Amino acid sequence: MPDHSAQAQSLYLHLPFCFHKCHYCDFYSVVDNPGPKPGTAATDAQTPRPAAATDRQPAFTRALVAELEAAHRAAPGPGLRPRTVFAGGGTPTFLRPGLWDQLLASLHQAGTLEHTTEFTVEANPETVTADLMQRLAHGGVNRVSIGAQSFQKASLDALERWHRPESVRSAVDACRAAGITNLSLDLIFAIPGQTLAMLDDDLDRLLELEPTHLSTYGLTYEPQTPLTARLRVGRVTKVDEDTERAMYARVLERLEAAGFEHYEVSNWARATPDRRYRCAHNLAYWTNANWLGLGPGAASHHHGHRWRNAPNLTRYLAHWDQSEPTGPPPTEDHERLAPEDRIGERLMLGLRLSDGIEHNWIQANVPAGHRRAAAIDELVAIGMLERTATHLRLTRRGLFVADTVVAKLL
Amino acid sequence: MATPTHKTATAAHIRNFCIIAHIDHGKSTLADRMLQGTGVMNERNAREQTLDNMDLERERGITIKASAVSVDHVWNGQTYELNFIDTPGHVDFHYEVSRALAACEGAVLVVDATQGVEAQTVANLYKAVDADLELIPVINKIDLPSAQPEERAQQVEDVLGLDAADCIMTSAKSGVGVKELLDAICDRFPAPQGDPEAPLQALIFDAVYDDYRGVVVYFRIINGRMKRGDRILMMGAKRTFQVTELGKFRPQMVKVDDPFEAGDVGYMVAAIKTLGDVNIGDTITLDTARCDEALEGYEEPVPMVYCDFYPSGDTQFDELRDAIARLHVNDASYNYEPTNSEALGSGFRCGFLGMLHMDIIQERLEREGRVSVVQTAPTVTYEIDCIGKGGEREMIQITNPAELPDPSKVKAIREPIVAAEIITPTGSIGDIMKLCDSRRGVYKNQKFLADDRQILEYDLPLAEIIYDFFDKLKSITSGYGTMDYHVTGFKQDELVKMDVLVNGDAVEALSLIVHRSKAEQRGRHLLKKLKEQIDRHLFEIPLQAALGGKIIARETIKSVGKNVTAKCYGGDVSRKRKLLEKQKKGKDRMKRIGTVDIPQGAFMAVLDSGE
Ligand SMILES: Nc1nc2c(ncn2[C@@H]2O[C@H](COP(=O)(O)OP(=O)(O)O)[C@@H](O)[C@H]2O)c(=O)[nH]1
Ligand code: SF4
Repeated sequence: MPDHSAQAQSLYLHLPFCFHKCHYCDFYSVVDNPGPKPGTAATDAQTPRPAAATDRQPAFTRALVAELEAAHRAAPGPGLRPRTVFAGGGTPTFLRPGLWDQLLASLHQAGTLEHTTEFTVEANPETVTADLMQRLAHGGVNRVSIGAQSFQKASLDALERWHRPESVRSAVDACRAAGITNLSLDLIFAIPGQTLAMLDDDLDRLLELEPTHLSTYGLTYEPQTPLTARLRVGRVTKVDEDTERAMYARVLERLEAAGFEHYEVSNWARATPDRRYRCAHNLAYWTNANWLGLGPGAASHHHGHRWRNAPNLTRYLAHWDQSEPTGPPPTEDHERLAPEDRIGERLMLGLRLSDGIEHNWIQANVPAGHRRAAAIDELVAIGMLERTATHLRLTRRGLFVADTVVAKLL
Repeated sequence: MATPTHKTATAAHIRNFCIIAHIDHGKSTLADRMLQGTGVMNERNAREQTLDNMDLERERGITIKASAVSVDHVWNGQTYELNFIDTPGHVDFHYEVSRALAACEGAVLVVDATQGVEAQTVANLYKAVDADLELIPVINKIDLPSAQPEERAQQVEDVLGLDAADCIMTSAKSGVGVKELLDAICDRFPAPQGDPEAPLQALIFDAVYDDYRGVVVYFRIINGRMKRGDRILMMGAKRTFQVTELGKFRPQMVKVDDPFEAGDVGYMVAAIKTLGDVNIGDTITLDTARCDEALEGYEEPVPMVYCDFYPSGDTQFDELRDAIARLHVNDASYNYEPTNSEALGSGFRCGFLGMLHMDIIQERLEREGRVSVVQTAPTVTYEIDCIGKGGEREMIQITNPAELPDPSKVKAIREPIVAAEIITPTGSIGDIMKLCDSRRGVYKNQKFLADDRQILEYDLPLAEIIYDFFDKLKSITSGYGTMDYHVTGFKQDELVKMDVLVNGDAVEALSLIVHRSKAEQRGRHLLKKLKEQIDRHLFEIPLQAALGGKIIARETIKSVGKNVTAKCYGGDVSRKRKLLEKQKKGKDRMKRIGTVDIPQGAFMAVLDSGE
């Protein structure tokens, strides 16, 4: 355990199990006991099935608890006291309810959640049950992020995303019934075959559910995913750039009209004066705060040092699921950024926020005459960046080409 | 090095000859066989093809540097010294070929028994005839099943006017006919004439650079004598040197103590530091007893094709400069001078004998000099008839469209013209003529070569064939067409400078001189190519081609529409930063003109004629 796991203000837990691998997904996840495609069989994903050949969920839960305990020991004072906790995956809601109980009990026992104000769990709608949501709510979870992605069967099929459109509503209801009302929904656009009309319909149905938060993603073709392989061999056609741009514009227009504030390139919060629906956990990423990630594949950051746990459940269990873990835990991709590079990274992340970056910070870190200062001036001149009274931020035009813009500031 | 020897033969028993052939007809293989036949080489080093000693040559199947090997052969009970003088095989090295021929009395003309007479067979034959050489025609590769020795011998008679009965049939592969050829060389080629008592006149027909000895000069003594210790004068270069070593290649360097006399071929070492000090074709005489006149035919090498080399990738300007200078020490066939381009920075403008020569030098620079270079599109030399600074009429030569004076000062632009001889299958003749016509060719003549082969003679502007003419010729004739050419002079035509504007700025490195009738088509095509090369920017980029301010073609590079990665959470940060850094690095390697990043490949877009 890297010793500076100390004052992490955020804690990320990676729960790697899925019942099926979506074709666009490049998150680290494992499918130990494949589920039937919902809607094609009488069962849904949470229905008990014959025992799988491998069931590593119990061992994983023991290991994660062990890693948590080690993190507590390594942390100064009373132990880990994160302000935000985020359980992502994989499909966290696919971890069996009894195992969730063990995990939550361990968090409480160590006092981990004492200062936690936001505890999010990601959910695949097909795996959300009233029972699980009650246990989660009871254990301190106060925010759920549901991967709705689309409400069109054709779009879900194109993504090989296995859930039924109608299960999104039941998942939302289950959360609310359990008392979790801070709900985020994910939406993917520019799906092969999708039209602007289909997107409009998706947006209608999202808004009907009255979420407090939305994440909207233009479909990214990640390397080494089945979707990208299909694209290469010509079995899938990308939405053309002009349409994708129009779709992004449509999302902006509709969600703004619906009372959401666009606070990050792909994130929206229901507007309130206290900004309470913005995701505090993700804001920690975009402001370069320190966070600790536990579980296989989880990334961490501490003052410019980035690393991740090896995305390998077997190795993870071999290390953590033993009575006395020996040797270093499997971590990789260690990166210690030079101060110059940290500045570039901060610009890259900070400009994704609609607020942008404070002039004060820029004055302190980008001296006049530096190539970055010249690049900023040029980008302002061509209307990609703008200066408000307090901040430097992307313009609406700049937003559409944010990657090209920030690449000039690295 | 072998121990010094005495000379083995006097002029009456010396035979100086060369082998001439179209590429791939078996010249090198036959030469090796002949050396083996005389016992000079064993099978093992025969495979190394001694006379063809550069990797690059072997790879590209061409000979760049001539050299000479001396061997002994016994015929009719007497020992003869055969000096085999190698000639460069490529169209760009005409002058060097002519000097090597001038050192010989005879030429062995090799014709492939399967291919028959080709463009360079004809061109080389004419050169040998011009040099007054005795000829022995050889039909080689008779071992091949598709060989047609009799038909080819008849073709040699019909097309080249040599007696079919004089042809010697060989297989360089198996050795058949090689002894017969060696005998014929002793028998049919004349002994060198020349007066050993006259003042020294020796012809330099080649020179190579050796790390230990400096420059090694290959020469043939026409008249007089030369020995170690002599103080010699190079008449053209007007430089004197002291001879420190004389010798022959057998095929290793062997020092010879005896003086060399009229008729002898050998090498000389004289503390010459760079090849730039030695000119092929120059005459050597004794500084103390000079001959009255230099040998005929000396010409300064005149580069005809120019391009710029700029450092690219990790290569720095200094490294490129050193590499160019180092290579020049052992290959003085090109010239170079520093140049500057607003687009590409500091580099060198280099002059070459032709396109292939240019490719070879670039490759050697990259391979031997370990530098990476961007090469700009080649241009030819233009003669500009213009009004000078003082208002007087003057003629200047330019090698770069950017040097063209203001159009109002230009009276005429003249371009180099080549006489081209194209051998093509009869079926392709119509298409070849169309190609030549589209390249502003002037038809000269058409000759029958064999049932299925014709010779076409055209005058063509050099500028029209440095682009993709060879490729076109090859594709029209399915690889069977061949061509030989040489520059004959300059001719005026309606040539204009075309400017290319990127985002409103004229980019000199992209400008070119074109024929007025083709400007529009070239311009349109060039802009299309540029559009493919230049990435979309954050703003729209207009591309324009213009003749003296008048826009003749335009294109627009649209601005980036959408480029923003959807999600960027904790685990994505490093990967995303690296991805963007890579994009940025790519941009850094580009040349920035105004606010536009132009990749180096764009500067070669000019090359593609688009026909
Ligand atoms: N079968 C056969 N192949 C030959 C003969 N002479 C040369 N070759 C082959 O023809 C090719 C060209 O020969 P090379 O001596 O390099 O030709 P150059 O370009 O004229 O020097 C090589 O692959 C040789 O092995 C021959 O008499 N018979
Ligand atoms: S459910 Fe989520 S983690 Fe699992 S495969 Fe699908 S997208 Fe990936």
